[in-house]
Amino acid sequence: MNGLHGIIFSYEKRNNLRELGEIRSAASIPFGGRYRVVDFALSNLVNAGVTDVGVVLNGRYQSMLDHLGTGKVWDLSRKRGGLRVLPPFNYQKDWGVMPFRGKIEALAGVRTYLDTIRQDYVALMDGDLVVNLPLADIFEEHVKSGADVTVVCGNDSFATEDGTYFEKNSEGRITEVLYNLHTPRGYRGLEVYILSTQLLKDLVDECAAKDQFSWRKELQTRKDSLYLRSYIWSGFAAQIRSVQEYYDRSMQLLNPAIRAELFCPERPIRAKGADKSSTYLGPEGKCVNSLVAEGCRIEGTVENSILFPGVVVEAGAVVRNCVLFKETVVRRDAQLSYIIADKDVEVLSNRTLMGHATYPIVLAKGSKV
Amino acid sequence: MKKECIAMLLAGGQGSRLYVLTGDMAKPAVPFGGKYRIIDFPLSNCTNSGIDTVGVLTQYRPLELNSYIGSGQPWDLDGSTGGVHILPPYQGSKGGTWYKGTANAIYQNIGFIDLYDPEYVVILSGDHIYKMDYSDMVKRHEEANAACTISVMEVPWSEASRFGIMAVDGDDMITEFAEKPKEPKSNLASMGIYVFSWKALRKYLTEDEADPNSENDFGKNVIPAMLNNGERMAAYRFSGYWKDVGTLESLWDANMDMLSPESGLDLADESWPIYARSVNAPPTYMGQDARVTHSAINRGSTLEGTVENSVLSPSVTVGKGARVSYSVLMPGTVVEPGAVVEYAILGENCRIGADSHVGGTPESAEEGTWGLTVLAPNCTVESGRQVRPGVMLGRNGEEVSK
Repeated sequence: MNGLHGIIFSYEKRNNLRELGEIRSAASIPFGGRYRVVDFALSNLVNAGVTDVGVVLNGRYQSMLDHLGTGKVWDLSRKRGGLRVLPPFNYQKDWGVMPFRGKIEALAGVRTYLDTIRQDYVALMDGDLVVNLPLADIFEEHVKSGADVTVVCGNDSFATEDGTYFEKNSEGRITEVLYNLHTPRGYRGLEVYILSTQLLKDLVDECAAKDQFSWRKELQTRKDSLYLRSYIWSGFAAQIRSVQEYYDRSMQLLNPAIRAELFCPERPIRAKGADKSSTYLGPEGKCVNSLVAEGCRIEGTVENSILFPGVVVEAGAVVRNCVLFKETVVRRDAQLSYIIADKDVEVLSNRTLMGHATYPIVLAKGSKV
Repeated sequence: MKKECIAMLLAGGQGSRLYVLTGDMAKPAVPFGGKYRIIDFPLSNCTNSGIDTVGVLTQYRPLELNSYIGSGQPWDLDGSTGGVHILPPYQGSKGGTWYKGTANAIYQNIGFIDLYDPEYVVILSGDHIYKMDYSDMVKRHEEANAACTISVMEVPWSEASRFGIMAVDGDDMITEFAEKPKEPKSNLASMGIYVFSWKALRKYLTEDEADPNSENDFGKNVIPAMLNNGERMAAYRFSGYWKDVGTLESLWDANMDMLSPESGLDLADESWPIYARSVNAPPTYMGQDARVTHSAINRGSTLEGTVENSVLSPSVTVGKGARVSYSVLMPGTVVEPGAVVEYAILGENCRIGADSHVGGTPESAEEGTWGLTVLAPNCTVESGRQVRPGVMLGRNGEEVSK
């Protein structure tokens, strides 16, 4: 057992996920051909030696519960510790009706759970983050540096919906906390924080007493009294908060350098198996520059796309620049481009559907076109 | 814990006719069909047939098999009453022996079977590729009020003399059994799958063990003894896909059959899934110049060259300008750019150097010399090397004779 505990937030927030978010929280959206977004946060924690992880849920979490199960996939089904699923059992507001307004409110909703944490430190992560962080190293640096809170930031030009941004000085100390920016500046916060369990509980109690619910507002207020230290991660880090981000970030996986980094063998991303047979490409099938999961049958043409398990592309069908979720069926001679098809979608023969790189079309789960 | 029916899976075979492929592992652990291993078939059949207790009898190089089976969770065989149990030979207070034959292997585990006090015991072997509902066979056994039921399938008359052949009466009760008869009386071949009433089997196993002249084998000793004693022996007719993958050629054939569901081997049919312990790896990436046709591929692979009529396991790499045809590539194989692999079986983690050429088409070889090219696991072929059709290479890249 190492000294770090994980808490993952998966509650409903304002977002622009359209049909993808109608039936699930961002954390349980399928990503990268065989993963759910939350697999990344869970794997990051487990790969850093974390044995106990709490997942805070609120709103549309059936899909998430199905996915998490006992936590066995991440070796989190343990006699002591392991996975703790935290629906809003202790939430003072109307049960399940009001979404959490912020992380502090979410933590106040599971306050009794915070007292059961066995470890001295806690890593807070958002469930909508796709990244492969060297979290063990970040934790070690946190302890060595004597910081009160380590704030993990990205370092790329991607803006994100409703993002939090940080400015730092040359020593790495956070000097400003910004959000609701019209034009983003500073470093994009990945909503990954490491702090001591005691400080977390103190902050939660103090804030709850004042009906202060926002974590980032609290950081802003205390940026001088607390030592907020930045950790800058210059690799791939995606926050899935809009259809556009989902699409752009998915397509980045076709770049081998990004795949090599996100799926590095030292820190494997663990996901549920699908119990499907091998993927089969037919005599006339063509599949280039694409990621393909198991159990697919490709008899037509697939280019620049991501296919989840069990996708069928019949002869003559053409799929370009698409993301097709589990069990999508594209019938003969249909043509799709810039489409995100949710689970169990069927596109009938000869249909043509076109989105655009700047507006990918989402086909809702189970729809028949 | 009383069970109606349990299964005993004979998985100790060396599989010597798979030569270098089974140098370090028992035959049932050999990869098949991309994501599977041979033993996935009987294990999945058990779980799909409602049999939740399986004893796996291991003997030869069991490490790979043991770690593959693990807790049995991938096949849902990790229940709290029953589940999968690995049964190696062991030392008792009066010493111990290796399993002398198939019947002796079961005899040595009478104690295990008695724990479950079953009515019926299904005896399976770990070298066949097929989908079968054992519960249907047990039903036939019950209805025929038999002591033993043997599953049989019709084979072409011309091949009947290669099998154990059953002669049956009008009710499909077995009247005669002949091992590889010169003049077969029927074309019903034994598939090596038996259902026994445990009481009867227990008696015959004990008697067989007491006979010093017995080879302690089901086909040679136990079944003939039961027939001679006039026990009721039923035949159970099976008509689906079934293949013994005990030879390199049949292993290759069965892999090719998997590519064409018309062969009867449809692994995508989800009403009878075949489960496997799968590796954790990202989806397969197919590059800009990849040309993959009539082939099966699996996760963790990166394919940038041409792949045709082939079966690829997980984590295979095929470089740019490389070509793989009519071949079976086991997990972790790397085919470097410009290399050609034809009509070959490549063991796990083989590395085929750039611009080398492994195997060849039947037309390319001199009359009568052609054969599959087979590489042992972890074998490296240096860049530019030519490996002729029919050649077998050991783990250090040396030629090995069959």
